[in-house]
Amino acid sequence: MSITELLWRFPSVQMAWRNLGRNRVRTALAMLGIVIGVVAIASLGIAGVAIQQQATANLGSLTDEVMISAGPDSPEDGITEEQVTDIRSVAGDATVVPEKTNHTTLETRDGREVFVGVTGLTQASAMYTVSEGENPDRLQSGALLSNSTAQQLDLELGDPVEYDGQLYRIRGFVESQGGFGRGGRELVLPVSALSEQEYYGSVTIITEDGDQAQEVANALEARFNEGDDEVLSVTSFAAARENVGSFMNTLNLALLGIGSISLVVASVAILNVMLMSTIERRGEIGVLRAVGIRRGEILRMILAEATFLGIIGGFGGALASVGVGLVIFQLVTNDPMLIFSWPSLRYLLLGFGFAVVASMLSGLYPAWKAANDPPVEALRG
Amino acid sequence: MSVVELSDVVKRYRNGQELIEALKRVDFHAERGEMVTVIGPSGSGKSTMLNLVGLLDTPTEGTVRLDGQDVTDFSEDELTEERRSGIGFVFQAFHLLPMLTATENVELPSMWDTSRDRRDRAIDLLQRVGLGDRLDHTPNQLSGGQQQRVAIARALINEPDILLADEPTGNLDQDTGRTILDELTRLKEDENIAIVSVTHDEQLVDYSDRIVRLVDGVIEQ
Repeated sequence: MSITELLWRFPSVQMAWRNLGRNRVRTALAMLGIVIGVVAIASLGIAGVAIQQQATANLGSLTDEVMISAGPDSPEDGITEEQVTDIRSVAGDATVVPEKTNHTTLETRDGREVFVGVTGLTQASAMYTVSEGENPDRLQSGALLSNSTAQQLDLELGDPVEYDGQLYRIRGFVESQGGFGRGGRELVLPVSALSEQEYYGSVTIITEDGDQAQEVANALEARFNEGDDEVLSVTSFAAARENVGSFMNTLNLALLGIGSISLVVASVAILNVMLMSTIERRGEIGVLRAVGIRRGEILRMILAEATFLGIIGGFGGALASVGVGLVIFQLVTNDPMLIFSWPSLRYLLLGFGFAVVASMLSGLYPAWKAANDPPVEALRG
Repeated sequence: MSVVELSDVVKRYRNGQELIEALKRVDFHAERGEMVTVIGPSGSGKSTMLNLVGLLDTPTEGTVRLDGQDVTDFSEDELTEERRSGIGFVFQAFHLLPMLTATENVELPSMWDTSRDRRDRAIDLLQRVGLGDRLDHTPNQLSGGQQQRVAIARALINEPDILLADEPTGNLDQDTGRTILDELTRLKEDENIAIVSVTHDEQLVDYSDRIVRLVDGVIEQ
C-alpha cells in the first residue's frame, strides 16, 4: 500500500496535507517559526546539559572524597589508631588514607630556601598524580616532591631531601591538581617519618562516587558522633555537588523558560496563520458543510493541518538543534558526540513534543470556529 | 408524497437594526422526476428559500418536510446527515476544491465514509457528464462548463433525492448553459430525482416542468 493510499484512509489528514500545499510560502513561514522555537528550547537545554557536565567534571574526584579530622569533642588531639581501624570497618571497600601533616623548610646547597607542607602517608598513588618518576602504592621509603618546588630548588629524581634530620631520596614528582587539590608545595614522606606525632591529623576516604561518599559520611557520623557531640569532624563534598546540581537545575529551567517564550511566539504565529487560512477558505468550508461533511470532520481536518505544521516544523527544528548541539558541546566540553547522549537527546524530544502540542493547541480555536460556522453564513463567504 | 415540502414558511432575519422578512408564508413542494425552477428578481427571497429546502437554514415559522418527515426541529448534526444522504448542491460559482482532481472533487461528499468506496461511481458519473477524459485534471485545468459538470457529478455521488441548483448557468455563456441544462434534464430522468433551481435566467424556463415565481417573499402562481 502506498503512502497516498494510506492517507486516503484518513480523509482529514489527506485534506489537511493538500491544503498546506496550496500556499507553500505561508506554510513554510509558519514552520520556520516552529523551527526557531524548537531550536531555542533544545539548544538552550543542551547548553545547560553541557555546562552541567563540564562543571561536574571540573569538581571531579573531590566529590568522591570524605575528609575526617578530630572534632572539638575529641579526647585526643588527633585521630587515634583505634579510630582509624573503626573508620576502615565503616568505610568497607573504599580506600582509607590516614595521614599526618607538618611543615618544614627545604634548603639547597647554595642557601635558597623553600617552605613546604609535609604529608606522611602510605597510599601515595591513591592521593597523588606523578608526572615523573614512580608513584608507589605503599610509600615505605623515599619521598615525593611537588613539581614546582623541585624546579625552584633544582632537584632531580634521586636527589636527597632532609626532614627531621633524616635524608629521603626523591622517587617521583607530583603534579599540582589546582583548585582545592593537593600537590602544591608539598613533600610526601612515609608515615613513619612523622612518628613523633602520636595521632593522625586527618583521614581521607576515597569512594567510588559522590553517592557512596555521602553514605560513608553519614555512617561515620552515626558511628562516632552521638547527639551534638562532634568527636570526629566529617566533611564530604557531596553536599557541594548537590548545591552545584541544584544551581544547574535552576539555570536549566531559566534557559528553558527563555526558549519556550520563542515557541509560544511561534504558536501564536500558527494561530494567526490557521485563523487567516480558515477565514480565507470560509466559503469553501461552507461548501463542505453543505455537501454533508460533518462538523467533527472539518474540525479534524483543520487540527490536522496545524499538527502537520508542528510535526514537520518540530522535526526540522530537532535536526537543526543537533547541529547547534554539536557546536555547543565542541565549545564547552570538546566532545561534540555528547549531543547523542540521553540528557541532551531528551531536550530534542522535549522541543519536538512541545512544538507538536503547541501547534495543536493553536489549531484548536480556528478549527472550532470553522467547524461551527453556520453553513449559510459560510457560503456567503 | 413530495420529496421536499415547505408549508406556511416564514423566514425573518435581522440585518443590523432592520428586521427583514425574506419569506412571507410560502408553500412549496417538489416531486421526484420533476424540474422546478424558482424565478425572481434579486432580493425576492429565492436564495433564502433554496437554503431552507437544502436544510442549510431553518425557518422562523412553518414546517419543512423531507419525504413526509418533519425535519424543522432537527439539530445541526441531524441536518448534516440529511444533506449528506439526500441532497446534492450545485452552485453558481461551481465551488470545486482547487487542490483536488475532478475525480476527488466528485468523491468529496463521501470522502469521510471510509466504509464505502465511491471511486467507481465517481468515475461513472464523470463519464456520464462527458468528462471521462478529464478524470485527473484539477479545476484550473477545466473550462467553466466542465467545472460545472464536475459539480453536478459531485452533487449526485451520494445518490440524493433532490438536487438543488443556485444559478447553475449564471457563470456560463448561453451555449454552455444549454448543455448543462440538457445534462441536468437527462440526469433527472436517469436518477429519478427532483431538481430545484433558482435563477433569474429565463433560459431555464424551457427546461422546467414547473415554474414558481417569487416576488418580495411571496409566491405568485
